[in-house]
Amino acid sequence: MNQFRVCLMICAIGGASLCSGQMAPPQLFSGMEGYTFLPDGTAIPIWGYGWVADGYITLPGPLLEYTQDEFVQLNFTNPSPESHTIHLHGLDVDQANDGVPATSFFVVTGQEATYEFTADYPGTFLYHCHVTTTLHLTMGMYGMILVNRPDMTLFEGGPSYAKNAPILFSDLAIETNVDAVQSFPFHDIRPDVFMVNGVSGNQLEQPDHIIDFEPGEPIALRLGSMAYSLMRLDFPSELNATCYMSDGRPLPEPFDVEEMDIFPGERFTVMIEPVEGWDGYIGCEFWNIPDQELDGEQSIHVRDKSLSVGEWSELIAPLGYPNPTRSSISWNGPASVSVFDVSGVLVFQGPLDQGQLHVNGWSTGMYTAIFPDGNRSRFSVIH
Amino acid sequence: MRLCKSLIAIFLALISNCISAQDTLWIVRGEWTHIPDSVQAIRFNSSADWSGINATLSRASDESTSLVVVNTDSLSHTWKLHVDEEEEWAIEAFDTLTFEIPALPIGTYLFGLTDEIGRVLGASGQLQVGLGVEFPLFHWNLGDWSVQRMASANMGVPVAWEEPYVPEQFTINERTYPATVDDPEALVAMNLGDTCWISIANHGFMDHVFHFHGFHVIMVSSTHHPERVGWSKDTVPIRMGEGLVVQLVANQMGMYPVHNHNLIAVTNAGFYPGGMITQIHVMP
Repeated sequence: MNQFRVCLMICAIGGASLCSGQMAPPQLFSGMEGYTFLPDGTAIPIWGYGWVADGYITLPGPLLEYTQDEFVQLNFTNPSPESHTIHLHGLDVDQANDGVPATSFFVVTGQEATYEFTADYPGTFLYHCHVTTTLHLTMGMYGMILVNRPDMTLFEGGPSYAKNAPILFSDLAIETNVDAVQSFPFHDIRPDVFMVNGVSGNQLEQPDHIIDFEPGEPIALRLGSMAYSLMRLDFPSELNATCYMSDGRPLPEPFDVEEMDIFPGERFTVMIEPVEGWDGYIGCEFWNIPDQELDGEQSIHVRDKSLSVGEWSELIAPLGYPNPTRSSISWNGPASVSVFDVSGVLVFQGPLDQGQLHVNGWSTGMYTAIFPDGNRSRFSVIH
Repeated sequence: MRLCKSLIAIFLALISNCISAQDTLWIVRGEWTHIPDSVQAIRFNSSADWSGINATLSRASDESTSLVVVNTDSLSHTWKLHVDEEEEWAIEAFDTLTFEIPALPIGTYLFGLTDEIGRVLGASGQLQVGLGVEFPLFHWNLGDWSVQRMASANMGVPVAWEEPYVPEQFTINERTYPATVDDPEALVAMNLGDTCWISIANHGFMDHVFHFHGFHVIMVSSTHHPERVGWSKDTVPIRMGEGLVVQLVANQMGMYPVHNHNLIAVTNAGFYPGGMITQIHVMP
């Protein structure tokens, strides 16, 4: 019911924008009723950000991309039951737009706000809620911001790249997310889920989490951390990795990188130009900072695009709505669908009911829908 | 004999104090009341009187000088200046040591007790070399504190280093937020267009990382990452035992937080906001 109310409010906001007759800029909203799913399908409650047009929050929040020198107006609405803000981490915005409640402003329940700034510097930045930061950020209210240059160079006079690969590290403590009210105190929080772009384990082998490269075309890895952990990355020599930037500024001297530490809130831009035919991993270690112990490991798959499996690389996922869903999800176009759970077990096969798939009674978790044309779409069922 | 030694030490200290206010440091034990759970602590003080705040030393660059250390504690300790020479010096209970500070380049260095009790009870300060000359200087001594570990150490119980480390308090200049913004050394107050340096030392038992709202800072010096001098950063790691200096240019007005971005460290006994938070105030 609560989700329904949130959706109505978001639809009303979206509708009002459309009625004005102008193309409304995308608008972020904050939500406190989302889920993320562990590799075994376990649903973990999250708070977070999402696009109003999508109607659901994600972990991490949507990637925000701007062009250098652009005057940005970031519209934000908060239909959730608590106040939130957006802190634009590293963009050096003025006090009024800093997103710190005590020195700028809260966005209380039902309120809209616009954060304004000029994207002076190209680079990698972050955003997160700065209300009771320990709790709100831990619950998932964060995302990455990229400020790009139109000529696809990292910075004026810097090297050019073929594409960005945003990589945001984070972690969460299941106990905290499951029961946010009882989550205090925070000085002894011990994360037990270690994530790269919000997923972990074999989820990182899903096509949209694999970095495919074309030989000879450099990729800009946009690395940032919202984790409690200290990140220690291992770059195999075949990646030809060179670090050019940190915290949205060019380094005086770029350096070749084999191992890199990233502390909470830090960002680095590392260019890779892997050798032709390479298929391997960037190792990601999550170190507990107080105890200096290794808590978790993840691997980012990097491979020559020619080695990717055809049907996955050509994937064009139809957008289902609503997603996550409690009762039904609909797609435009396909007449039938096969649905598999996270274990690969077929749970449904057959025609859609006027474009809708009814999921009443289904277990909470993530599912993959495969359509007759081979396209796939992932969706989540919540209760 | 012990009384005689102490009197001689105080006499020597008084003489040296006449030459320069920072030629002598006293090792003093007392009640640290700046955190809610007041606890016995050891400090380097600039007089024989107890203060919960460690003293800061200042020296010109590239000049060797001497330092007198007076141990008013009833225990012997070992002390070290954390520079390239990793030599430790023993100082007996109620004894006095004259120590040669070598010629050093511009930067921030740590000194402190290295024996278990002295270290856990927090006797550690920063030596500023060649700072405060060109630009106004602020300083942040970072500390993380397990009150239980301190209480045990104070009673002579060996520290169980293998157990998980769960500090409850996180301090800048031995204070927790919001008291940090009442400390003129921790609160960075500037006028628009001015430049300052901030001298930062991590005396704790874990790495820390500070995020500057509203500004990037330039790395001026670092004991652990000299290759980063000249980098422009808004999020600056300070490794355990590291001393570093950053330059801040106040290019916009307003009030901006600076805080540890390891969120366990922006709490007081687990409750937010607290711990390692201070502010930058830029006035017209």
